[in-house]
Amino acid sequence: MKRLIADAASALTPACDYTTGCITCGDVAIPLNVVRVDDERGLALCADDDGNSETVETDLVAPVAPGDRLLVHAGTAIARLDEEEAHA
Amino acid sequence: MKYVDEFRDPALGEVLAGEILSLVEPGRHYKFMEVCGGHTHSIYKYGIDDLLPANVELVHGPGCPVCVIPMGRVDDAIALAHEPDVIFTCFGDMLRVPGSSGTLLDAKAEGADIRMVYSPLDALRIAKVNPERPVIFFAIGFETTAPSTALTLRRAKTEGVPNFFCMCNHVTIVPPLRALLDSPDLRLDGFIGPGHVSTVVGVRPFEFIPREYGKPIAVAGFEPLDVLHAIHMILTQLKQGRCEAENQYARVVPWEGNPRALQIMSEVFELRPHFEWRGMGFISQSGLKLSEAYADMDAEIQYSVPGIRIADPKACQCGEVLKGVIKPWECKVFGSGCTPEHPIGTCMVSSEGACAAYYNYGRFAREREVV
Repeated sequence: MKRLIADAASALTPACDYTTGCITCGDVAIPLNVVRVDDERGLALCADDDGNSETVETDLVAPVAPGDRLLVHAGTAIARLDEEEAHA
Repeated sequence: MKYVDEFRDPALGEVLAGEILSLVEPGRHYKFMEVCGGHTHSIYKYGIDDLLPANVELVHGPGCPVCVIPMGRVDDAIALAHEPDVIFTCFGDMLRVPGSSGTLLDAKAEGADIRMVYSPLDALRIAKVNPERPVIFFAIGFETTAPSTALTLRRAKTEGVPNFFCMCNHVTIVPPLRALLDSPDLRLDGFIGPGHVSTVVGVRPFEFIPREYGKPIAVAGFEPLDVLHAIHMILTQLKQGRCEAENQYARVVPWEGNPRALQIMSEVFELRPHFEWRGMGFISQSGLKLSEAYADMDAEIQYSVPGIRIADPKACQCGEVLKGVIKPWECKVFGSGCTPEHPIGTCMVSSEGACAAYYNYGRFAREREVV
């Protein structure tokens, strides 16, 4: 997904897939798993269950560790999803 | 997928729908507004409308940030994109929003370097690999997205990226809700509150709705059972004579929001005295601009933007749709002059827009109603 976006030519493609919605423009967030953490820069490499990965800002939910599950909106983790599990 | 599948269980949905049926009083008409475009999308995608009793009506609110952007701001964005050497970056939905003389996609076809990004961080990355060119990020969204922009601007400052600029169009959710509640032509019985905005601001900012306007609100998640559960909560309040702000999405939303997100927002942004909303006019203190500490990264200060106010197209009734006064299909141009492929109004552009959602999922339901 990210590689496609990085290619400027892809910006000519219609932007949004109407069946799944645009993850950034709406109030939509997706659950991702932390794969690797760059504590110094406040970033983490996160992946969805299909293996698609992206770099995520983790400042709002720090500290994070590999295996944590985060709710990500526009490249920023806005909430943790593992807390409910911890409380269960 | 964990946290998703269990909230899409059809059997539980049936149970909830049954309980909702038992909560409604026959002969009373209930009208609830889903504030957020994400909820509109879920309602149509999963056919939640079909599970509700006929006397429970859902109306769409102003919660799609793309839909509320006025034409003049699109024109300003296009003007910035045409500035020499500029790389203009924005989210995908914005590319297709019509200004008074075309879209950003049209401007790209004319030669402007406009690139779609999935996050502000992507835009910053483009700025880093093109240090000789100014990169402008078109920031848009409610409080869900604003912290993301704020974090990226702070990162650009601390990492020293002098060619990164921001055209800020962030908006806040409470002022338009207040404007709606003050509007005389609107009768509502309750609100389904925005889920992900609330991860940032919390539930507390919505307490004024029951307190000052006497309407219950339940902040809700986006899976079908979340939305049904929120409707169940609101109906239960009405039946028991309560009127409160409740949190259906407690697995993600803290009552007080995310203090770190609120802190970074207050560092990077300040409130504009007023901001124009499509179809709703100017609403005071409803938009954000960059604070003085970040003025050197504010594209509106560093470049001259036309800032001309353009009236909405006459045929378009996005304003009434955004206020929940009419249903998307009641607009004169819905599905004929205005389609997702050739939108006239913004509500048809973004997938979170009420008209686009209705066009893609809801029109069959309407056909059933008509028959």
